[in-house]
Amino acid sequence: MDLQQLDLRPRVAAGVRRGERAAADVLRLSGLELQRLTGLSLSDVQQLLTAAATACRPHPPVSAILLHRGECLRLESGLRLSVGCPVLDQLLRGGLPVGGVTELSGESGAGKTQLALQLCLSVQYPAQQGGLDSGAVYICTEDSFPIRRLQQLIREQSCLRSDVPPSLISTLPFGDRVYVEHAADLDSLQVCLSRRVPLLLTRGLVRLLVIDSVAALFRCEFQAADWLERTKQMLSVSSTLHRLSQEFTTPVLCVNQVTHTCYLVSPALGLAWANQVMVRLMMRRLQATVARGDQRSALRRLEVVFAPHLARDGRDAGVWREGVRGVTD
Amino acid sequence: MQRPVSSLSLSSCVKVKLVGAGFQFTADLRHLSPQQLSKGASLTQQEALEVLQAVTREGGSDKAAGAGGSSASMTALELLQKEEEELRSIVTFSSRLDAALGGGVPIGKTTEVCGAPGVGKTQLCLQLAVDVQVPPCFGGVGGQVVYIDTEGSFVLQRAVDIAAAAVRHCSLLVEDDEQRVAMETFSVDTVLSNMFLVRCHDYVELLAELHLLPDFLSAHPRVRLLVIDSVAAPFRRLFDELLQRTRLLNGLAQQLIAMANSHEIAVVTTNQMTTRVLGAQSQLIPALGENWGHAPTIRLILQWAGSQRLAAIFKSPCHVDSTVQYQITTEGFRDIDQSDQPQSKRPRMHNDQSAAGV
Repeated sequence: MDLQQLDLRPRVAAGVRRGERAAADVLRLSGLELQRLTGLSLSDVQQLLTAAATACRPHPPVSAILLHRGECLRLESGLRLSVGCPVLDQLLRGGLPVGGVTELSGESGAGKTQLALQLCLSVQYPAQQGGLDSGAVYICTEDSFPIRRLQQLIREQSCLRSDVPPSLISTLPFGDRVYVEHAADLDSLQVCLSRRVPLLLTRGLVRLLVIDSVAALFRCEFQAADWLERTKQMLSVSSTLHRLSQEFTTPVLCVNQVTHTCYLVSPALGLAWANQVMVRLMMRRLQATVARGDQRSALRRLEVVFAPHLARDGRDAGVWREGVRGVTD
Repeated sequence: MQRPVSSLSLSSCVKVKLVGAGFQFTADLRHLSPQQLSKGASLTQQEALEVLQAVTREGGSDKAAGAGGSSASMTALELLQKEEEELRSIVTFSSRLDAALGGGVPIGKTTEVCGAPGVGKTQLCLQLAVDVQVPPCFGGVGGQVVYIDTEGSFVLQRAVDIAAAAVRHCSLLVEDDEQRVAMETFSVDTVLSNMFLVRCHDYVELLAELHLLPDFLSAHPRVRLLVIDSVAAPFRRLFDELLQRTRLLNGLAQQLIAMANSHEIAVVTTNQMTTRVLGAQSQLIPALGENWGHAPTIRLILQWAGSQRLAAIFKSPCHVDSTVQYQITTEGFRDIDQSDQPQSKRPRMHNDQSAAGV
């Protein structure tokens, strides 16, 4: 916001003209610096700071009871993006949170991409069915997009979502609402995140952002000695993701690889990335297999590593023709 | 009192004119009228009036602190009496951590909670945001809370969980009529309505919010806790100029300390951890640099030791360094069960090694 638009006394406004800055710049300066730049007294500078702060602060504090009653959708919409399986939804207390970055890590073959694809379809259902009534944008960084698998998932939707009336499923244009982007390097990812994705979000065409995977780019582009530059780039990507997620109340899912450090499997990219993640999920491939009908699948386990609202817990799951489903018995 | 005119909070050109006209000390100005002063120092009437107001404000500061003025000094004995009669700490619902902190998170001081992601920083903040509201007859403070969320990690669902558990806990403790009456107004709904939430997306919004917060605190005198979860997130994103960051953080620290003192609130901030590489070894240390480390009165480090969660008091002027074990349950931040608690104190070196090994 421009300083000229602030509500100031004429004398203060005259002093500001000598400085000629934006409101946010005023807050970055200390009181003494402002006095020097504008030649105003301390009380006038205080008034200027208060006016600038009022302009920069979008909303005053809100009582949490209003959120609870659903009267403040800006802070708490109460929406969750359902995974499409009641067992896994129960683990996640309804699904992915709509404002925040969720990370899904696991070894190759654990079923990360399967779950990500499934979310691209479940986001398209109306809110009653746990969706957000919009499409998804899927950014591939390591592999080509598994289009055949997506087609198969779409065909089998009525099998996975037996809770949804078949007439509704047949009317949803699933394939048309998944936007696929390829980003082979960090620059193209940044371009994608700063230009094309905001455009899709603004038009309401998508309400889920998937990056599969974040690790690939950072792991191949930097050598061990460049860790400082790598951290910087990582913070820049993660802050873009945060902003998009908050601004458009959109869930962001980042698929991540894992690193092995002496018998211990931990998500890749280290602490600098972990600090930026709100919900960390992990998928493991177990030794056992499970069978259901004519299908067999390796047993998987989806675990919550940390999340502000979830307990550390896990559910067994299998990857079937129709998608990822929790195993109960 | 011989106070130089140059130390008054006036604009620099006014000060130059005053000194140029021979007014060196505030005593020189005390008995003048605005007209006399404006003639004598060639100031406008308006400026002269302001100068005189500033002088009288400084003179009267022993009794009442003016806006931005310094408050009256106290003797150590008076301070001790004040602290004792107003007790006051916010319990954490973990008796071991309370004991280590001497009753809980102290009001009027700043406390920083550091830790790796997922170790329970936000959980402790939410727990304190509920605990500050526990009615006085249950040993609480009966206050309100301002919760500044910069990471988007405030999830209402979780706040409701913790509030419901705290209400249930208190309802089991009811013994006399006073507590019965207090319980009538201590419910999940009232807990939530006493929780004021702000979400800041970048550091400018955080600075703006903190600048306006004193007014909010004056309007809501029952607020006893300010939570900022976290200070690190907005200040670690996209900051190229480390010098400016350090300066802004120093200013922020002063603001927090001033607010804690003048409004009698406990300030709880969280901080992320970062890796420091020393030769071949690496170590986990709190982020935001060495300078920020001086800001909080108490620094609490939460860390993993295998599958156990440990809280270590890392810096505090009035507590012995100690480490306690805690757990995060569906109810919130709690003590570990009696049976599997090995020891309550460990030598500090031991913890540093376990932190470095993560």
